[in-house]
Formats: sequence, C-alpha cells, structure tokens
Amino acid sequence: MNVSRTERIVNQLILTVFAAFAVVPLLGVLLSSVTPANQNSGGFAVPESVDLGNYAEAWSRGNFSSYLFSSVVVTAAVVVLSVVLATFAGYAFARMHFRGSSVLFYLLLVGLTLPTEAFIIPLYFNLRTIGLTDTYWALILPQTAQSLAFAVFWMRNQFRGFPGEIIEAARLDGCSDLRLLWRVVVPPSLAPMMTMAVVITMWTWNEFLLPLVMVVSDAKRTAPLGLAFFQGQHLTDYSLLAAAGVMVALPIAVLFFALQKRFINGMVGGISSR
Amino acid sequence: MATIRFEKVQHRYPNAPTAAVHDLDLDVADGEFMVLVGPSGCGKSTTLRLLAGLEDLTAGSIYLGERDISQVAPKDRDIAMVFQNYALYPHMTVGGNMEFSLKNAGMPKDERKRRVAEAAKALGLTDFLDRKPKALSGGQRQRVAMGRAIVRNPQVFCMDEPLSNLDAKMRVQTRTDLATLQRQLGVTTVYVTHDQTEAMTMGDRVGVMKDGVLQQVGAPMDLYDRPDNVFVAGFIGSPAMKFLDGQVRGTSVTAAGHEMRVHRSGGYDGPVVVGVRPEGWRLTGPGDGIAVTVGVVETLGADAYLYGKTRVDGGIDGGGADVIARVGNRERIGTGDTVHLTTADADAVHLFDRETGARLS
Repeated sequence: MNVSRTERIVNQLILTVFAAFAVVPLLGVLLSSVTPANQNSGGFAVPESVDLGNYAEAWSRGNFSSYLFSSVVVTAAVVVLSVVLATFAGYAFARMHFRGSSVLFYLLLVGLTLPTEAFIIPLYFNLRTIGLTDTYWALILPQTAQSLAFAVFWMRNQFRGFPGEIIEAARLDGCSDLRLLWRVVVPPSLAPMMTMAVVITMWTWNEFLLPLVMVVSDAKRTAPLGLAFFQGQHLTDYSLLAAAGVMVALPIAVLFFALQKRFINGMVGGISSR
Repeated sequence: MATIRFEKVQHRYPNAPTAAVHDLDLDVADGEFMVLVGPSGCGKSTTLRLLAGLEDLTAGSIYLGERDISQVAPKDRDIAMVFQNYALYPHMTVGGNMEFSLKNAGMPKDERKRRVAEAAKALGLTDFLDRKPKALSGGQRQRVAMGRAIVRNPQVFCMDEPLSNLDAKMRVQTRTDLATLQRQLGVTTVYVTHDQTEAMTMGDRVGVMKDGVLQQVGAPMDLYDRPDNVFVAGFIGSPAMKFLDGQVRGTSVTAAGHEMRVHRSGGYDGPVVVGVRPEGWRLTGPGDGIAVTVGVVETLGADAYLYGKTRVDGGIDGGGADVIARVGNRERIGTGDTVHLTTADADAVHLFDRETGARLS
C-alpha cells in the first residue's frame, strides 16, 4: 500500500500529539520528583538543579519499605495462585467434556463484569465474620477470585487454539492428563501466560479500593494506599509527592519494559507450534 | 499376533445426519500393510482414529489379536500413530520428541537413549537429535514423526496421510523408504491416503471407501483388474477408467454404436454401464470402432494419452461420452483429430449395473 508523503506526515503529527498527551504528565512528575522542594511550585517545569534526596526522604518519611513489601507479597500470591488455577480451569473448559461446563463458564464470565464497588461491603462483613479482615488473605483471596474471571477466560481461549493433534499424539504416547497439561500444553503456551501474569500483576499492584476497605493496620497497607496516605500528610510537598508516586509506579513500569517484547508477542501472537 | 478386526464398526458424529463410518467389517493380517483410500469425507481417517482410540465407537467392536480394544484408552492400545501434520512437540528437541513416550512408560534412561539412537540411525536423524522441530524441513519432521512411532515398538502403526504435506519429489522418495521400513520392521500398518498411486504402490491390500462404506478390499491388482463397482473402477487406476452407456446381449455389448466382445457367464441382458481402461483401447480404421474427437493429447515418451469425446451419443447421462485412450506415440495424433477406437480383447471390457453400479461381467 503506497502511503503518500502528506498522509505520512499527518499520521506522524497526530501520533505525536497523542503521545504527548500520554507522556507529558509523566515527564512532569519525573521532573517534579527531582526538583528541590523550595523551587517546586507544582505544574510542569524544568528544575534549575537536581535533588535526588527527595526519594530518600519520601521513602523514610512515608514508610514505603513496608508498603512496597506488602504489595509484593499480595501481588506475588495473587499472580501465582491465579496462573496455576487458571491453567487448570482453562484447560478443563477448553479440552474436557463435563456436565455443566457451559453454565459454569458463563457464571465465571459474569465475574468479569462485576465492579469491586458492587460487592465490597458484603465482602467486608463476610471476611470480618471469619476473622480475616486486616490480613493479607483479605487482599489475596478476593483479588485472586477477580483475576480468575479474566485469567480462566484467557487460558481457555489459548488452550482452545492449541493444536488438537499434539494433544492426541501425547495421549497416544501414554501421557496422563496432568502430565499432558504441564509438560505438553503449557510449555509452548508460556508467552500468552506471561502476558496474563503481567496484566494481573498490574491490576493487583494498582488495586486501591479493596485494601482501603479491608486493611486498617499500617503494616498491611499496600503501596497505592500508602501513597494516598502520604499524599494526605504532605499535600503541598510536591517534590516528595512526585518522588513517592514514581516509587510506587516504577516496579510495574520496569516489569513491563523488561518483558515488553514477550508481552506484545503474547497479546498479538498465538502459540507457534510448527 | 497383531491382527486387527473391525466388526460392524459404526461411528456417527453427534448431530450428524449420516454415519461417518457405516457397518465396517475389515480384517488386517499380522504384519500386513493395509491402505485405506478414498475421496475426502469417505470415512478413512475416522476409521483410523477409531482404531487408535481417538474417537469412540457408536456401534461394533475392534479387536487387536484376541483382545477387544473397543473401550480401551488410546495409551493402552499399543498403537502408534503418525499424523498428517506430524504433531511434533514444539518445545522439545527431536530426541525429546522421540523419547517422550518411553519416559511416560517409565523406561530407564539408558534403554531410552539406546532405542532413540537406533531409530534415529534407521531414519537418518542422528545429527538432528538436538534440534527443535521448527529448525527442521518438512521431510525431516516427517521422519521424526515416524521415529516417535518406531521407538515404541508398537503392535500397530496408524498413518494418517503422512506424505500429503511433502513436495512431489520428497513424496516419491519417502514412499519407498516407508514401504521398505515397514517390511523390515514387520509391524501391522494401517495407512490412510486419498492418493490412489500411494495405495497401489505401497499396500499389500487396499480398501476403497466411499461415504463411510467400504466398497472393496483386495490386493492392488485385484482392485485394478476386477473392481466390484463403478466407484472402485473409476477411482483406482490413473488415468481413470471412463464409462459408456451400453446394451448387453449374451457375450457382446454395444456402446456408442459399436459392438464389443465381453467375458461373462450369461445372465442379464439389457442396459449396462461399460467401462474400459485407457490401455484397453486400440486404434482402428474409419468405419470401424467408436469415433472419438480428440480434445487433449498428453505425450509421455513412448505412449500418449488421448482425452476425447465420442462423436455419437454414448455418455451415461446422454451426449458424448468422455474417453481416455492410451496409444503408441508413433501415431502423432493431434487435437481435433478424429480417431476410431475398439477394445483389444474381451478382458478389457467391464460391465456394471446401471442402477446399483455393481459389477456384472
């Protein structure tokens, strides 16, 4: 397809404008985070001198080591549980015949449509009854359940697209069901599974409402919550706020950049089998 | 003894109006190379999959030796399969692919390695054992698929059109390699293909299927010389047998205005379908034989094949009948020429019932 020069320039222009919309605020926060406190008036400005001490101060003042630790524990648990359970369930829905599989699957999909706000109050009371509020479990279990709605759907799709002949060949080669799943079907499917894991990591890391309601003690607070509290305490300390924001957002950004090639392949590609 | 017996086997896909395999009775002898051949959708692949256990029987039974394997899981049937698209495990090396089944069976490592090395040697794969399937050519992948089946030392090989994804040259080469290998190993083999050339050259016996029904089973030349019905007659043999409308009386049959002798032991007199293979025709002079207008001439060195239509109405559905005749190439016949054809001898004429297509002569 031959694209005229004018069209190409216009395309680039439009893309640049939208890229700017996305990038400029981020850039602003980054610049603000290295601006010395007395120079920072909020807004987008390039600082005269660079002060990296903002990060150290935000870290210690804001207790972020504790918050980040909590986030890591919760996110890691949710991701691991979701990936493992979704692999089992996705395979069952995709490749096994059992009564009620359609009904069960649609029920699971309903979970995709439910916003956290809709069930958070009853959930809080349920968890309080069994004494799980203000624990990591109150964060891990509901978020695993929420992630599974997407994850099972995703894995079912992936396994549906998996070449049936390879599964048949494995069965003829004497493979039991469990071994078949984890030794034959999963290894070529790792790219889309990785994508799913990254997406769940992102959602879980950034979750705000659930920790807000479930967690009272400072020790169990996750990073987004910690950031909100920090913000409440340092409303006009723009430099500190910016530094704190960057610290909470950084892990996910780093994860994405490190895996971006795999991430995009996993989203766009299928499972290469030949 | 790895004999196979299909007894009244039936398979119907759920919600399908007709059965994919209908009332199949078939025996395969120990060590025999049985080829199932037929057009797309005839049920040959389904039959193979029923044997391997990848599909469930709707009715009937399958026996391996004395054992009824109708309800036995695929992994316990001791049957290995070579798939059309090879179905290699993409994340494992060639060696890994070949030893996977042995690992599942709990075989110790030394024995596994020995078996894999042996099979690799037989197939010329020794240098490729550490490669992954995506780094192999089509022919190499096909050999890995064979190797995967061979290491298992199974009682039966099932092969589902293993050559159809290869280019023509590779196909011819692999055909002979496969046939030789099977003879060496002596394993009962059921081989499915849509290519009648493969069927004729590779099979000890050939089973022709159409619409889920087994039409005829026999040695290739038996099918060629004495096809049981019109379908088998027209399917086996290349170029194909062509048919004319005819009237039979006694030992002579008239078609397209010409009388021909036919071998038969009396019986029905009346309208029939007449089939003659290309090599059954002889050129004769004008005023004799069937006049045919030549459409296409395929010259193949010493012989030529004439593709034409009869001048006089002789076709089964009326109008000119298609005729394919093999002649010596010295004649130098061209497109548009009219030739006169007669049958060489009575053996060349096959008679079939107009209604049922069954063999009469």
